[in-house]
Amino acid sequence: MTSIRRINGPGLMVAALLLVLWQALIGSGLATIEYLPAPASIARAIWSLAAQGQIFPELAHTLGVALLAWAIAAVIGLSLGLLLGCSPFAWRHTMASIELLRSMPSVAFVPVSLLLFGFSVKMELALAVYIAQWLILVNTVDGVRGVTPQLLEVARMLRMSRLERTVKIVLPAAMPVMLVGLRLGLTVSLVMAVVSEMICNPAGLGYQLVFEQRALQTDRMFAYLAVIGALGILLNAALLLVARLIPGVERRGGLAA
Amino acid sequence: MDPASTAAERVAIFPGHGARAVSFECRRVCVEFQLAQSIRRVLSDIDFDVYDGEFLSILGASGSGKTTLLRILGGLLFPAKGSVVKFKGRIVDSPPERVVTVFQDYASSLLPWRSVEKNVALGLEGRTTPAARRQRVAAALEMVGLSEHAKDYPWQLSGGMQQRVQIARALAMEPSVLLMDEPFGSLDAMTKASLQDQLHKVHLETGATIVFITHDIEEAVYLSNRVLILEGKPSTIAKELIVDLPRERDQVSTKESAPYLALRHQIYDFINGLKYST
Repeated sequence: MTSIRRINGPGLMVAALLLVLWQALIGSGLATIEYLPAPASIARAIWSLAAQGQIFPELAHTLGVALLAWAIAAVIGLSLGLLLGCSPFAWRHTMASIELLRSMPSVAFVPVSLLLFGFSVKMELALAVYIAQWLILVNTVDGVRGVTPQLLEVARMLRMSRLERTVKIVLPAAMPVMLVGLRLGLTVSLVMAVVSEMICNPAGLGYQLVFEQRALQTDRMFAYLAVIGALGILLNAALLLVARLIPGVERRGGLAA
Repeated sequence: MDPASTAAERVAIFPGHGARAVSFECRRVCVEFQLAQSIRRVLSDIDFDVYDGEFLSILGASGSGKTTLLRILGGLLFPAKGSVVKFKGRIVDSPPERVVTVFQDYASSLLPWRSVEKNVALGLEGRTTPAARRQRVAAALEMVGLSEHAKDYPWQLSGGMQQRVQIARALAMEPSVLLMDEPFGSLDAMTKASLQDQLHKVHLETGATIVFITHDIEEAVYLSNRVLILEGKPSTIAKELIVDLPRERDQVSTKESAPYLALRHQIYDFINGLKYST
């Protein structure tokens, strides 16, 4: 509704200026950095990859894995998070384990997933789901536990059932924090998909990135890098766009982080 | 107040209201909070009735346990063993039907993701037909003068308007008792006066019983049929006053009338007496 105002003019200008500077320095041969192509060459590489149609299956693969992993992680994280958030007993008993598991560096699970699932899409999915679900789960628990006691009192006063209270009060009240978890989860799903493709499963944008790097095709390598970056930005923007449809969500900090 | 007197005797001493039925009945109500090392008694031997249709104010300084007492009436908090709290003859063990609380903190009592009308409809959903719900919501908004703002969101409204939304939400429930916890405590004087008049009108129109918590002596006298003063550590009901003012009240003429001023004087004297005697 206010997307026009959201375009950050000065910010875009600085970014464009940096690109021009990069082009001027590298493109003119004023400075030479080995294996660093000029933006124009990268743009040409993207164009040729797109024109040959070569990039689309890879893009679809990585995007598909990231989105599917995110969706699975969301189902697990939201439902488990709601359960643990509503039950102080369950939370007390599981908190320590969850804190331990989610604090482990995500990339360290790459070999674990590889051992369990081999060089497959399943391996990519499992890793991305596993890492993303913690973010969604922990934020959901935080959101649910953070519902102000006053709102719960209103629910009691109006003699709401447990189900009514959950659906009408707890979930909408926790939603801004849950959205933060969903956003982080989406970003991480993409990251883990790319990492798995780089190290394990020979498919998708991540694999192409490494492939071109080994072939010393730096223009193409940077082209894949740019596409992965753009994908991340677009996914995040799409989620924000959907979230913004919820009335009052920005005022309540749902689009933070 | 003599705790030994029976409900029937009390009805008799409550002038101008005939033999009104008792709505709430509180006997020997004590409340204790468990602290780290000790137990603190907040309310002790609270003993009073609320009569059907009356406007009862409970007056007390901050920390006197007024809110605690209201939460007990609302079934949101339970008193210590031995206390008896009944509503229409039944022990209060959960919020009773058609007993609705208006909380002091309006900002955190409204749902920011719901429009004004949806906030007002909150307690009716699934309990009435959609048509009846719409009609009751519209009537409640009309009563507090917010019909124009039905589609707005609470955070788009001023504090006074938000509190009116909360009052409308309570009115939509067609309450037999309204429990109000310092509802105008955080509003400016002008908004407060106008809301007092609206509330007075609502009381006359709906005939609902209102239990009103306040620390504002003028407000208590202006609005009520009866005032209870909470005092002491732990608090107990230190005084009961019958406010025998005409039914229709007015911010200027009522507040300049001799009976109003006499009551106000009496309460100040009583409170000052407590202050200097201890």
